[in-house]
Amino acid sequence: MSSRLGIRKRRLARSTGGDVVIMLFLLIGALFMVIPMILVISNAFKPLSELFLFPPRLIVRNPTLKNFHDLMVMMAQSWVPFGRYLLNSLVIVTFGTLGNVLFGSLAAYIVSIRKFPGSRIFMSMVVFSLMFSAEVTRIPNYVTIAFLGWIDSLKAIIIPRWSAPLGLYLVSRFIDGMINRSLIEAAEIDGASDLRIYWQIVMPNIKPAWLTMIILSFQELWRTQGGHYIYSEQLKTLPYALSQITQGGVARQGVQHAVTLIMMIIPIIVFVINQSKIVDTMGHSGMAN
Amino acid sequence: MQPTSNVNAAGVVIDNVSKVFGRKRVLNSVDIAIEPQEFFTIIGPSGCGKTTLLRIISGFYQPDGGRIFYDRREVTNIPPWERQIGFVFQNYALWPNMTIFDNVAYGLRIRKKPASYIRDRVKWALGVVDLPGIEKHLPNQLSGGMQQRVAIARAIVIDPELLLLDEPLSNLDAKLRISLRKQIREIQSTLGITAVYVTHDQEEALEISDRIAVMDKGDLQQVGTPEEVYERPANHLVASFVGEANFVEGRVTPEGWFERPEAKLRVQLDEKILAKEVSAGETKMMIRPETIRVVEGDNCHVGGTITKRYYIGSLKRYVVRLADNSELVWETFDDRFSEGDQVKLRFTALCPISGEESNEGI
Repeated sequence: MSSRLGIRKRRLARSTGGDVVIMLFLLIGALFMVIPMILVISNAFKPLSELFLFPPRLIVRNPTLKNFHDLMVMMAQSWVPFGRYLLNSLVIVTFGTLGNVLFGSLAAYIVSIRKFPGSRIFMSMVVFSLMFSAEVTRIPNYVTIAFLGWIDSLKAIIIPRWSAPLGLYLVSRFIDGMINRSLIEAAEIDGASDLRIYWQIVMPNIKPAWLTMIILSFQELWRTQGGHYIYSEQLKTLPYALSQITQGGVARQGVQHAVTLIMMIIPIIVFVINQSKIVDTMGHSGMAN
Repeated sequence: MQPTSNVNAAGVVIDNVSKVFGRKRVLNSVDIAIEPQEFFTIIGPSGCGKTTLLRIISGFYQPDGGRIFYDRREVTNIPPWERQIGFVFQNYALWPNMTIFDNVAYGLRIRKKPASYIRDRVKWALGVVDLPGIEKHLPNQLSGGMQQRVAIARAIVIDPELLLLDEPLSNLDAKLRISLRKQIREIQSTLGITAVYVTHDQEEALEISDRIAVMDKGDLQQVGTPEEVYERPANHLVASFVGEANFVEGRVTPEGWFERPEAKLRVQLDEKILAKEVSAGETKMMIRPETIRVVEGDNCHVGGTITKRYYIGSLKRYVVRLADNSELVWETFDDRFSEGDQVKLRFTALCPISGEESNEGI
């Protein structure tokens, strides 16, 4: 990759003292970022008495699994089986993410490889759309979904996700930077179809881009509670169920921390697995800058 | 392997082809006929239109005017994938996610050939480029030269009518370029494929081509054998692009002498030149540096002082200042001269030349 981009390793003109200062600076920054995570993990295992200590303890003294036990008991008492909430979340995350990767990358292929008249304007619109927050588009989205008759169904969460512009933008930038035109032409000259080129040439060579899409989409969908689109209890998601459990006042503070850890841990595992690929993608998309 | 007569090899006719990008005209009514099994090279400086022409021949670009024929079949509007051609790209264009076997077999798989045929054919192609046994490697495990040979194997494995090569050696180091260009020529002549080769390296073109087309600013300047292009260039542009050349302006006398009195230069032209190529009056002659000899006595054509000496390996290059302060470049194996020496020179070959030097320095 580095040779393609013409990047050469060079020795930076920096003193050892400079290195130490930079390392210290980075270390302080890293501590600020890691302390909340340590606190979440620690709190999940704290007994109620330890949770309300002031100043708060970073590391738990008397770890317990009681918070998780209480959570299980409460979920068992729910009139909609807990498995149903989990299934709803899994369906949303799986189909939403798959669709987002598939349609986002297909659209990016067309925009970047098969440049059509107006493709630059189209891409500008995509970038422009990234500036809108969810609140701004909430009413038009609701009207559209209601018009399609998808209110109170998982489709209302899954299908709009397929057209999330961030994925299209990321993959398009990555294709522009990584896929040399000659790689496509070498396949074309042998008679490969667009779908074949997309699947066999483009997708395997932009793996970091779609892994990033998976992470971003997964994180967003994993957190969704159904918003304004889902009213039936049996269609609600796991975060919704967990948030209901935790709305029980001070007595449920321990359970709430257990819920926070559960909700956080899965996206973190997915992120850690793909960490190096993500950084690679950010570098190519210019997002690191 | 012995050279074979390949019945699939197609001749190519480029008929009055023009191409415009935006407001820039990159090809102006180009006419070329390439023979079957010929190794045809298109050379010229950057931006001369040589790659555009190759891409029009391949079908990646459509010409704005003119037609392309493979043999007598018009292919102007036929897409590249319906043409049975092999294309070797400058940057190899091997798919990094696929093994060498998968790279080479790609075209055969799309053509739905049986697995056993594909296996044998890939083995054959890798054997032709002298890379047997690397089927399971990934492209990034190979050197640049090996990758380009795999790219050639991928291009020839489908038994193409025409092999197109777009500056295939320009990313390689000098030594590898020399050995690989010989190998490319050997493969072409062994398989009997028609090859159209684009390069900006005139030495490469001279060594491996049957014929060369020289282009500049979208115009075809000359088509000829390497000898014709080098020894009898059509104009100043060609002469200065293909090899080193001295250009001496002077006049031809009715008695058949070429002279430039202010430089004290006087040459008796031979009958061949006089009969065909020049008439009395002002004219310009091209003199290749290696055709200049140092002589003793009065049989010299011009005298001068060596002002610079360059060591270029076995050859030495001298710059000689003449009486009118103009300079001649002279190349010889003789290394006994040094700056400040007076020398008497004799020209063994002169070529009358027309046209002016390119403004952009071809």
